[in-house]
Amino acid sequence: MNFGIEWAKMKRSGFVPAFLAGGALGAFVPVIQMAVRSENDTGFLGKPLEILLEANWSMIAMLNVMLIVAGACMMYHIEYEERGIQKIRTLPTKEWHLTAGKFLILMIASFGALVLETVGLGGCGIYWFEISEDFFTELLKNMGYVMVLTLPTVIIMLMIASWFQNMWISLGIGVLCVFTATMRQTDNGLLSLFPFAMPFQTVYEANVNDLIAAAAEVIAFAMIGWGIEKIRKKTV
Amino acid sequence: MNMIETRNLTKSYGDFTAVSELSLHIPKGSVYGFLGPNGAGKSTTMKMFLGLTRPTSGTFKIDGKQYPKDRVAILKEIGSLIEAPAFYGNLTGEENLEIIRKILGLPKSAVDDALEMVGLMQFKKRLAKKYSLGMKQRLGLAGALLGQPPILILDEPTNGLDPVGIHEIRTLIRSLPQKFQCTVLVSSHLLSEIELMADEIGILNHGHLLFEGSLDQLKDGAARRGYPTENLEEMFLALIDEDNQRRGGQR
Ligand SMILES: Nc1ncnc2c1ncn2[C@@H]1O[C@H](COP(=O)(O)OP(=O)(O)OP(=O)(O)O)[C@@H](O)[C@H]1O
Ligand SMILES: [Mg+2]
Repeated sequence: MNFGIEWAKMKRSGFVPAFLAGGALGAFVPVIQMAVRSENDTGFLGKPLEILLEANWSMIAMLNVMLIVAGACMMYHIEYEERGIQKIRTLPTKEWHLTAGKFLILMIASFGALVLETVGLGGCGIYWFEISEDFFTELLKNMGYVMVLTLPTVIIMLMIASWFQNMWISLGIGVLCVFTATMRQTDNGLLSLFPFAMPFQTVYEANVNDLIAAAAEVIAFAMIGWGIEKIRKKTV
Repeated sequence: MNMIETRNLTKSYGDFTAVSELSLHIPKGSVYGFLGPNGAGKSTTMKMFLGLTRPTSGTFKIDGKQYPKDRVAILKEIGSLIEAPAFYGNLTGEENLEIIRKILGLPKSAVDDALEMVGLMQFKKRLAKKYSLGMKQRLGLAGALLGQPPILILDEPTNGLDPVGIHEIRTLIRSLPQKFQCTVLVSSHLLSEIELMADEIGILNHGHLLFEGSLDQLKDGAARRGYPTENLEEMFLALIDEDNQRRGGQR
């Protein structure tokens, strides 16, 4: 696996600005929401974090999965646009080095956005609420949970982006999946296992079983991706 | 000794056979000219050597190593340029070569050496997608030459170059075996171009090998069969035409 090489490829692709802007936007979602309707919300009973997440998390989560969709598409677009990937395939390296490097970069980028958003939520808590000691532990726990729940989306979106040389097809599939995921609010059953829907859960909804499910999905997708790559190699 | 050797190498797409029972012998330290009209199967053959496409049947050996068992070991020895150059448009010429350099684990100086060789030094900071056609071709060549690999596979390397560039690159290719002790497999549509570069020639038509040997052997053989030999291009066309006739008039 070579992280440095994959990272060097992303120069000027707009990948980093996209995640910085997306993360900043996500951080401002609760700020704007609180500024607009602070009298109503602070009056609610319940934990400050619960109130904040209740009001903002579906918006933030949607932003994050959209970012992952866009990020994965960007990563493979630069491979296919001028066939850079074909040059790489003629070099003495294995395809999974490239895939693993991309996975790591997309994971770190989406974690970065989550950190920014957590800072935004923390700021709202300090500014608008009477917070207790456990506010920050729960806030960090929320970030940790969502990080794990994000991984299935990262890996499956990378797989989708790698299958279609035309970025618009991958992007279209990704956006469709995100919209399917937003329907989770009305259906809490099987759809919450849908990778794109997982990051919509907060620390108050998700439990350890969800984390295990996310880890299992990552392993399953990695194996499926590996199998498909084997088949691709055999059929070219 | 042969650097590349194929035995009955065949590639079919469905019921269409792009490369048929090809048995090539590419001597070590030679420039081998791979000649054939559009669609003859030149690129397909080269892609099989690089593992970009899988043979339907037959085998090949490169420097004594067998595909697919020794795929990575084979690729370590080959620098290649296949069809249009492949690169990252969002990176500069230098950054593109830097990616390849890192994968090959070469010293930093390798990038400038390669840029110098193809005459791209003054444009190394320009984005590759802003390169002209000829500059992209040169970048592809630099990627192939990086680290002076013992085997070079160059698919129509003079594509898109101006006359001066064509001359320059032909001269470069001609000089490679002496300079770096390497073996070069180079494809072209033009016998006149191959004549200027190659020690050995293989002529391909419709996936079949029509001839393999030196230019003199080709000329002798052609003269014996009554083809025009004063004009190389005519001789080549006559050869291809006769083969096409034999295949029932199909082009
Ligand atoms: N992936 C593919 N699927 C189906 N047919 C293919 C595929 N790749 C190549 N072919 C066919 O195989 C034949 C040989 O193609 P190839 O690219 O090897 O020719 P070539 O000798 O390199 O020609 P040119 O001089 O035009 O580059 C052509 O008829 C081409 O259409
Ligand atoms: Mg070709």
